[in-house]
Amino acid sequence: MRLKLKDLPEENIFSSGHTACAGCGAAMAIRNIAKVLGKEIIIYVPASCLSVFNGLFPSCAWTVPYHHTVFENTGAAISGLSRAMKRKGLDNVTVVGIAGDGGTADIGLQALSGAAERNEDVIYICYDNEAYMNTGVQRSGSTPHGASTTTTPVGKLMKGKQDFKKDVPLIMMAHSVPYVATASVSFPLDLINKVKKAKETKGFRYLQVYAPCVPGWGYEQSKTVELGKLAVECGMWFLLECENGQLKINREPKMKNLETYLKMQGRFRHMDEKQIAELQESIERKWEFYKGYADLTQRLYSGSEASV
Amino acid sequence: MKEIILHGRGGQGAVLAAQALASAAVFEDKYAMAFPHFGAERRGAPVAAFARIAEGRILTKAHIYKPDYVIVLDPWLAGLVDVAKGMEGHEGTSGGVPMGSVKTDICQGLNKKGAAVLNTARPPDEVRLSLEVCVGTVDATTIALETLGHPATNSCMLGAFAKTTEEVSIGSIEKGIMDVFGERLGEGIAERNVKAAKLGFERTEVGMCSGGREFPAQKKWLPDVDELPPGCAIRSQDTEYGKLGPGSTVQNETGSWRTFHPIVDDEKCTYCMLCWFHCPDGCIGRVPDKESVSVDYFYCKGCGICSEVCPVDAITMVREVEG
Repeated sequence: MRLKLKDLPEENIFSSGHTACAGCGAAMAIRNIAKVLGKEIIIYVPASCLSVFNGLFPSCAWTVPYHHTVFENTGAAISGLSRAMKRKGLDNVTVVGIAGDGGTADIGLQALSGAAERNEDVIYICYDNEAYMNTGVQRSGSTPHGASTTTTPVGKLMKGKQDFKKDVPLIMMAHSVPYVATASVSFPLDLINKVKKAKETKGFRYLQVYAPCVPGWGYEQSKTVELGKLAVECGMWFLLECENGQLKINREPKMKNLETYLKMQGRFRHMDEKQIAELQESIERKWEFYKGYADLTQRLYSGSEASV
Repeated sequence: MKEIILHGRGGQGAVLAAQALASAAVFEDKYAMAFPHFGAERRGAPVAAFARIAEGRILTKAHIYKPDYVIVLDPWLAGLVDVAKGMEGHEGTSGGVPMGSVKTDICQGLNKKGAAVLNTARPPDEVRLSLEVCVGTVDATTIALETLGHPATNSCMLGAFAKTTEEVSIGSIEKGIMDVFGERLGEGIAERNVKAAKLGFERTEVGMCSGGREFPAQKKWLPDVDELPPGCAIRSQDTEYGKLGPGSTVQNETGSWRTFHPIVDDEKCTYCMLCWFHCPDGCIGRVPDKESVSVDYFYCKGCGICSEVCPVDAITMVREVEG
């Protein structure tokens, strides 16, 4: 049964009074994800914006057990927590790791890959705000092409990041784990139902949530949701779901309004026609790839769960 | 040497203003420095930046504890933080507060002939700080909203600073803003900030404020290493230092951050719950009896997302009023 907004509880598992910026996309994602997951969870957060705004010791916004160690350890720490829970006979407890895109795509990638390859029984959530926002906007592997950050500034020779966004969901699909999905804070029903499906699945589950960042991206703080919608419309972010090897596209992008999306944000303000055309071409290629990949996996993996 | 503390909230541009002020002083052939207070503060949280201006070389590199001037970018901060702290012992000030005990005192350390430049709609004689000091007041939020469209009051307050203290001329402030803001934000934005500074200069009122306002010292939990539980694992608990452990952020009044607050029209509300979902701070509550929503103003940071996502325009954002 599909979850509706009215099915979510009123009580906060991620308390109010946290110190995220006004209009924070990550805070929006995380408090709702926690509501779907319920109280029988253990949260692990590595160094990230979340680890700061969910309260610095001894303050804490979580009302459930919360664990924090170092940056690169998310995959390893949640593996250990999950196994300890199994050993104690607490099979009803879900272990959830929530990391930023830097802690996922760059610093935590090897531990994440290891945990996925061992198919540990955990949920890994990456909130993707496309740079290291906690330390003041440095480029990460997840930063899109053209974006200006403090380490990819706009100058005479280079204008913003020259490389393209690392596709971590695709890397996770290549690990043949039971569930990989991408979601966005701007699509509530899609998001909460993906979290519900992740919760009901056994084994390693990976969810990457698109979470706009007001100071890092440079936009009006009330536009977080609108920006998320535009990103999906123009193809800068795809809503995908890969269950047991079968990839499904949840929402077909219109592949237009890229310029509207870019011009809303300070980090893309410098982009000229040539750079925009380059970016447009890259996302169109990606979209063609995903369409073909979805068709192929639907044919290859149809029917059988064991075939992964 | 004149030492200046800029109190603001993350996002109001205290750091940029400190740099522009230093740059303005350099345009007058003085020596100057500007630096921020480093911390994990996010947008909206109280932050501070520092600036020094002198006729000769500046050798001190430390934080400022006894400022000659304070600039307060946010209208509510002077009620939460003792801005005049440390200004005692100077001409033009009377009374005194215990030093070193209160972090949250904007008046902390204000020096001889010092002055506080405040963003408030009130005239100077209606302002009350911990010390009786010279103040310059200007309704910078209104000016910033008029000229920039958002409440970044930093440039406007630099204009007010020039008027109140006459340490630097408004012409140099304009040059400083063009120099620092222009490089970071582009010339168009810098020009609008120059306009805000000019308006700030024109509309500033200078006078004396009343003193004696008390700021309760906050007790901080500073456990000995032996008092810490293994792995720093703590349970949810109420102590004399406030709440500790899981769920303890509920004591943070993040509502003091906002410039606008949402008003819900119960008649128009269709109870779609989109605002309830999209509120990053969990301020929107569902009221099933009325088939409408309520707002918890204790936490609301005034981001305006609820108003933006409402499909029937039942939520309007209203400017916060001082008082």
